[in-house]
Amino acid sequence: MRLCYRSVPLLLALSAPSLHAQDDWGEDVWAEPGQQEIRLHGFVELAAGGRIDNDPVLADDDLSLAEFRSRLELETYADTVRLSAKLDLYADGVEPGAHLDIRESLADISLADNADLRLGHQVLTWGTGDLLFLNDLFAKDWQSFFSGRDDEYLKAPSTSLKLSLYGQKASLDLVWTPELTPDRFINGERFSYFSAGAGQQVAAPENKIDPTEPKQRLANGELAARLYGRRDLGSGSATEWALYAYRGYWKQPNAINADGEPYFSRLNSLGASLRGNLARGIAHAELAWYQGQDHQGNDPRLPNDQLRLLLGYEQELAPRLTLGLQYYLERTLDYDALSENDSGSVYRVDEHRQLWTMRLSYRAMQDRLSLSWFSFYSDTDQDAYHRPSLSYKFNDNLNLTLGANLFSGAQPHSFFGQFDQADNVYARLRFSY
Amino acid sequence: MTKLTAFAGIIFSLWLGISTPAHSSEALTDADAIVNRANLAAYYAASDGRAEARMLIRDAQGREQMRQFTILRRDREEGGEQDFLVVFSRPADVRNTVFLVAKKPGGDDDRWLYLPGLDLVKRISAGDKRSSFVGSHFFYEDVSGRSPREDSHRLIETSGQYYVIENTPLAPASVEFSRYTAWINRDNFLAEKIEYQDAQGEVYRRVEVLQSEMIQGHITVAESRVEDLRSGGETRLQFRYQSYDLGMGAEVFSERSLRKPPREWLRRAE
Repeated sequence: MRLCYRSVPLLLALSAPSLHAQDDWGEDVWAEPGQQEIRLHGFVELAAGGRIDNDPVLADDDLSLAEFRSRLELETYADTVRLSAKLDLYADGVEPGAHLDIRESLADISLADNADLRLGHQVLTWGTGDLLFLNDLFAKDWQSFFSGRDDEYLKAPSTSLKLSLYGQKASLDLVWTPELTPDRFINGERFSYFSAGAGQQVAAPENKIDPTEPKQRLANGELAARLYGRRDLGSGSATEWALYAYRGYWKQPNAINADGEPYFSRLNSLGASLRGNLARGIAHAELAWYQGQDHQGNDPRLPNDQLRLLLGYEQELAPRLTLGLQYYLERTLDYDALSENDSGSVYRVDEHRQLWTMRLSYRAMQDRLSLSWFSFYSDTDQDAYHRPSLSYKFNDNLNLTLGANLFSGAQPHSFFGQFDQADNVYARLRFSY
Repeated sequence: MTKLTAFAGIIFSLWLGISTPAHSSEALTDADAIVNRANLAAYYAASDGRAEARMLIRDAQGREQMRQFTILRRDREEGGEQDFLVVFSRPADVRNTVFLVAKKPGGDDDRWLYLPGLDLVKRISAGDKRSSFVGSHFFYEDVSGRSPREDSHRLIETSGQYYVIENTPLAPASVEFSRYTAWINRDNFLAEKIEYQDAQGEVYRRVEVLQSEMIQGHITVAESRVEDLRSGGETRLQFRYQSYDLGMGAEVFSERSLRKPPREWLRRAE
């Protein structure tokens, strides 16, 4: 096997004698690796983020992000099987030490003309929401999201088996994750959180959330399914529809056992979504019905069942300037039973939690510069979360991103309000090859 | 008037016949017919096709960016709806990003973008067809074609080599130009030069074919350039390894190909 330095920086390419004729475009980019070659890519990134507020309960609250990260991406084919790996090695100053994060390690196998299998460590996403997830119950990484890592890190990988069957009218995805892969949730280490039990903001080490996970048994795996298709409707534009089902667990440890310890309780979910052109933009709608262990809603230590609804619309306002708006409703079912059994808790969720989001994005200078502003705002929780960012490409390899994570809330226990003291600004310099 | 132009055209071509290739037929006089043939020649060669492409984007300060991608196309109907799949290989930060377009002449295109890092299939609004394609000076419409039905066409000159057509938008508010002039090669109906004029009649944008070749009997652009004459920036676009009539099915242009690019069609023929 020969390594193909197809996109290794010019400096490296020039230091080795090229096998291909160079032309006026600097290097022979037409060179295509053959079937047996390994494609090698990746990046190195330096990232720093600092808090602009003082978090009194975190032991060290100066830095929210401090890392040197090296990503290695390898891709090759063994006959018709595609093999792909993405390995992140990073030195972290916030949770000190060197860490290996395997983002991807998978095999793509075509079983038949209309059936694919993807096997291994992989990132999985479906659904129609923009940074809001209803039927996508694959693992998220909220620590990365809040601390200013690249958007890609919002999704955490899981070791899963994905079977895809394709038909004329509809296609089916079946995902089996043998071992529960929870979110990388806020556990008190990088960010403090509000503890309803303690009635105040708490953090690691004493209050690190370290939930017990379900036993490794066949019945304790996660199963997710999506049946989807697209139809040309009305004016001829494509409308996408999907039905979803999930059997597994809540991805955050929001249940409490008899000893007062957090754990992951059972969750089943059913849902549907639609997405299509509307007026000059894209509209989407998604619905999910979450059914947990507590169908009567009278056990306050277990999350109640929920109905979740999302409506969204996105449109280009002017060339390169796009506005996206979403409305999200989370209805807690059996609310009367919850009210009667939680001893009048002041931290009880609202029966209807509403959330609005706005995304404004703008690109300029041949896409060298991109500006983005994403805001979450809840009128029922009276809290908000803003994510402004600016990204500038010096050239095809070097990119600088500046951004901030800004939280506010009227109450210390609400979803975003608990991170009121976690505001941070960050910078990331990335060299891709 | 049209008869006169046709007559002049025939004389002109006879006279030039000595030094230029013989024209396949006598000069056409119907502007709409010429534009329709040019549209078919540029965007509907065969029933499907593949090409590898690279773009060199240069701004007024001389700063350069590169894009490289493989493009697959399939016609749903000749001169009508088409599907495109664009798989990026360069630069490194957009590698394996995939773009799927269902082109709907006269309506809004359907567009999807696949972001491999997030495994996310994003639907993107049809938006302005006259906005930059992946940061280049080319517009979406330059890459996938502007429907002839959106302009009125007038043959203003027939030279030995070209039909010169003036195109005026039927919905002037929807575009940034007031009119554009196209020089269409009489032999092969390739629009070799297009100049866009603003409201003052000044040419501010020029698209040119720099090199073309015959592939499987179809005239095929090998290199073209667009210049933004106001800013001084330009983008050059090269195509290689084009082939036609591969027999791609409709299923190639689906969500499956976004998440798992169809290697069978993306690979260069041995």
